[in-house]
Amino acid sequence: MLPDIIKFRLEDIINNISDLGVAGLALLDHDLNVVWANRTLSSILKLNYDPVGKSCREIFDCECKDKNSCATLKVLSSGRKQYSEVQLSADKDTRKYLQNVSVPIKDEKGCITHLLKITTDITLKEEKIHQYDLLRKLAELMQGTLQIDRLLHLILTCVTAGTALGFNRARLFVVDPDRNIVFGKMAVGPSDVAEANKIWNEIAHKYKMLEDLIKASEDNYQYDSPLHMITRLMAYSLDDENEVIVSCIRKKKVIVERNAFNNPNINKNFVNMIGSNEFVCVPLIVRDKAIGAICADNIYSKKPIRDEMVMLLSTFANHAALAIENADAYKTLEKKIIQLKDAQERLVRSEKLAVIGNMAGYIAHEIRNPLVTIGGFARSIIREATDNKTIKNSAEIIIDEVNRLEKILAVVMDFSKVAKPAKVKTQVNEIVDNTISLMESYFKNIGIEVVRKYELMIPDIVVDQDQIRQVFLNIFKNAAESMQNGGKLIIETSKEDEYVRINITDTGEGMDADTIENIFTPFYTKKREGTGIGLAVSQKIVDDHEGFIKVKSELNQGATFSIFLPVKK
Amino acid sequence: MDTILLVEDDKNQILLYEQELAIEGYKVVTATNGIEAIENARYFKPDLVVMDINMPMMDGIESMCRILSEHKNIPIIINTAYSNYQNNFMSWSADAYIVKSSDLKELKDKIKELLNKRKKNDNDKTV
Repeated sequence: MLPDIIKFRLEDIINNISDLGVAGLALLDHDLNVVWANRTLSSILKLNYDPVGKSCREIFDCECKDKNSCATLKVLSSGRKQYSEVQLSADKDTRKYLQNVSVPIKDEKGCITHLLKITTDITLKEEKIHQYDLLRKLAELMQGTLQIDRLLHLILTCVTAGTALGFNRARLFVVDPDRNIVFGKMAVGPSDVAEANKIWNEIAHKYKMLEDLIKASEDNYQYDSPLHMITRLMAYSLDDENEVIVSCIRKKKVIVERNAFNNPNINKNFVNMIGSNEFVCVPLIVRDKAIGAICADNIYSKKPIRDEMVMLLSTFANHAALAIENADAYKTLEKKIIQLKDAQERLVRSEKLAVIGNMAGYIAHEIRNPLVTIGGFARSIIREATDNKTIKNSAEIIIDEVNRLEKILAVVMDFSKVAKPAKVKTQVNEIVDNTISLMESYFKNIGIEVVRKYELMIPDIVVDQDQIRQVFLNIFKNAAESMQNGGKLIIETSKEDEYVRINITDTGEGMDADTIENIFTPFYTKKREGTGIGLAVSQKIVDDHEGFIKVKSELNQGATFSIFLPVKK
Repeated sequence: MDTILLVEDDKNQILLYEQELAIEGYKVVTATNGIEAIENARYFKPDLVVMDINMPMMDGIESMCRILSEHKNIPIIINTAYSNYQNNFMSWSADAYIVKSSDLKELKDKIKELLNKRKKNDNDKTV
């Protein structure tokens, strides 16, 4: 039993206690009009009038129409406690989430006389849930991309998307341990206020979901946007610890600069390039090593960078770093697999060539001996049969055929010879010129015009000149044979990545897919007089030089042979 | 008349070379393997040796080296179907390396050239 003193002061006590708590309380009568409310309710709902006497709908500003959607009405019909959640949006940036619990108050007979509505502000909790959900979603998106450039772009889009982290601009910096620098790799965001407003309006209308926005921006990343270009120009020595970005990476710490222009303790190179007084740098850390950093700011909206956004960004950066590491590992793996496949192919090819070479050598040897006897005696027959024209003619035919066979044997024997290339530093244009001059009169005779398109500043290559000349010669010969009625032979040289590329294009008959597939197989030939060895040897030579050959052709469309020879550093 | 030792294991080729070299005015003695070649070199003391490489019992390169150790100034022509032996430095002690062909002109020219050179050297010494 309560002591009498408390019974008398019960109303005061209840009022005091209720004002202490975090919950807003409202007592509603059967018509859902407020008969009593505490002060907390007014502050939670930001009411500037006394709620007593007003209707529930009015003060809670809710839009529910019937008992199916209104929790409070449901209490009346069901007689049980009901929960509901409401989102209040005072303005675009500050959202408020409320939880309402409606409790029925019954008299002795069990009839509902009043309702107590308990209102709590759950904005913080909701925001956390939203953030976790967002991080999970972003992490999921990032794990789905293994292409490194796409991934980096995705990361920056997440940092800037209004539906995600919502920064104005984001730049990604990457550490290059070999050069001991950190440099700007990519940037996302508008380049000025006008563009910012335009983009934000567009995006808000067009893309309601984060996934849609990411998909759309993935396909049209602007590599020539001013922000991207400026970012690409940024590079700082890792020894320069007074630059914010370097310090962020070296210390592996999040840095928030709130007044960068006036901070006497930092260098201004980086700050001036960023051009923003307030920004945040978060390191991308993989296995305790900083591989880069994300720098974000709100230069256009001028919205201060809140601590929870920094927290969110740094958690996001951890996911991003892992995703980058994954993609990087995948890329390395992919490269290794290609190398392995390539090595295996070369091995099979060279093994095949070696076997064929040995066999060819053996057969050639075995055939050459009887040919010597056949041809030798045929010659002596000619000498003896001075008067008999028929015998002489027949013997001459034997000699002709033997000569032809001996020529083919010479080619086959060359093929079986395993000569190690004797490499010297040289200019590819010279070798090409040299080879063309060997065939110049032949080209002229059948009406072939030679067009040279050389890159003049082409780097040196280290090759066996004779062997490479042999390669060009073989391809030139094939080209010429496919242009017996004249045509054009276009020779281009250029540098491509780590290779010097020589393109040899003819306007001849071209080849079908089947022929292209077999073109490098030893002894494969479509020519009546051919041995099928020229291109096999050419490929072996280029292989020995750690290069490769590509062929592009269509029937009646000419052919292009592209020879890639490595540029040695 | 100059004597040529022809070392060759192919019977038909022996017939051809004997006939052709006789026409050129040489006396031809033969051997069908490396060991026989060493013996015949001792016995006939030829002015020049035409040596095949791929033969039974003892190959031409080993046989050539032994002959050269006994007869220092004898010219030797390697006459083989296989051009690869040129990469074997042992073959470099021969005076000439000819890849067999049904046209014997190259061989005949080489024989003539080496014999002339030898005669000139001998004359120089006697003078």
